[in-house]
Amino acid sequence: MPNFNRRRVYFTLLAALLLQLLPFSGVWLQIKPDFLLLALLFWLLRAPSICNIGIAWTAGVLMDLISGDLFGQNALAYALTAFLAVMYQRRLILFTVLQQSVYVFLLLFVNQFILLLLKSFSGSEYFGWTYFVPSFTGIMLWYAVLHSRLSVNIMARQQ
Amino acid sequence: MDQQQAPRFFKHGPSPFARVIVFSTLSLALMASDSKFNYLTPVREALMVGLQPFQAVANSPFVLYTSIGNYFISKQSLRDELETLKKQSIFQGVQLQALQSLKNENDQLRTLMNASKNTIQPARLAEIMYTGRDPFTHKVIVNMGAKNDVLAGQAVVDGAGVVGQVTRVFPYSSEVTLLTDKALSIPIQVERNALRAISFGHGRDNTVTLPYLPANVDIQKGDKLVTSGIDGIYPAGLAVAKVESVKTNASSPFAQIVATPLAGIQNHRQVLILSSDTTNLVAKDIQQVLSVDAKNQSDKKDKSSRKNDAKL
Repeated sequence: MPNFNRRRVYFTLLAALLLQLLPFSGVWLQIKPDFLLLALLFWLLRAPSICNIGIAWTAGVLMDLISGDLFGQNALAYALTAFLAVMYQRRLILFTVLQQSVYVFLLLFVNQFILLLLKSFSGSEYFGWTYFVPSFTGIMLWYAVLHSRLSVNIMARQQ
Repeated sequence: MDQQQAPRFFKHGPSPFARVIVFSTLSLALMASDSKFNYLTPVREALMVGLQPFQAVANSPFVLYTSIGNYFISKQSLRDELETLKKQSIFQGVQLQALQSLKNENDQLRTLMNASKNTIQPARLAEIMYTGRDPFTHKVIVNMGAKNDVLAGQAVVDGAGVVGQVTRVFPYSSEVTLLTDKALSIPIQVERNALRAISFGHGRDNTVTLPYLPANVDIQKGDKLVTSGIDGIYPAGLAVAKVESVKTNASSPFAQIVATPLAGIQNHRQVLILSSDTTNLVAKDIQQVLSVDAKNQSDKKDKSSRKNDAKL
């Protein structure tokens, strides 16, 4: 396994956090993919020794803070999703881009589903299938980034 | 599990399963303590202040975009805007004069009836920084916080009506829950017949509902709902919503009433935060109780001293 630069990993996560903070509203907010989770999954699959479940959990706490939710909701969802990602990490890195994308789509969906469950426990109401749109836009972004070999540049430059 | 099949001489740390158990329990504990006890409020405030620079960086492209747009605004459109504003100010000036005389009359009548006078609540202008990210709730973050004497519970309005209520206060910003949020309810009155009710946010579709009203209630489509002012938070007479539909269902004893908010919840940048009188009311109550107590005590003292005098 290549020796990934810690600073590079944290920098991309921070950039994803900034993307999350962009003041979207209206339709843009509805279709906005979960940038932070995508960045987390990217590194969870490539550098599990640096970006582990603990980092995912911390990012989730930050997301709780940003979205003004109860502390722990996003954190729990991120930690569980990260666990599912790490569990099959060794097999996943051998997959093709398309196969990987299908699994990542499932992970994004699971993340949103856990959040939905937690939200409905705290009294929110499911407002229709549009809730799951960010999963679709997220996987489109994931596929675009991996297919355009942008990710290869990200990883190549750091070694 | 794959990680456990690796040879033991590689250092791995705790297994993913152990980690996920630890962090899940931690987040469950966080959720419980955040929802039931208010231990985490100071932590949230501190972290929000820490997040402020990141927020400023993330907002900057949008701020730059609007400022560039403002710079290249045409002279003609400015002139048009000035024209309409002038016209508006003349109309409103006339209305204001009528209002002044009405207010004087109202005050006189109220003093005649020994009723308490309506006081005007001071307000401060706040700008919406961004809307909340959570698709389940209807919240916005404004740029006034505890440093600007904003308190949780204060009412937020705009030119057209009630916007919502301040629910969380951070040092430099505060969270306003919009009236369409499921968690927000406002005591209202139908303007036409002064019927009192409570409006609840619908949670979706940007509407409010009036539940728990009987099927034969006298509310029609197009009725204007205004605040009743009995809660002490919202001043009386502010426009809240307009009734959109009234449906009755044979299987339910209640009418299903849906109303759309009058304030431009989705499309404005500036809102007014009204400083509520609640703190003053509480302070007044405490003072009154204290003065009564002091009076009682001094009376007792007087009595006892008189007794002593009598004994002597």
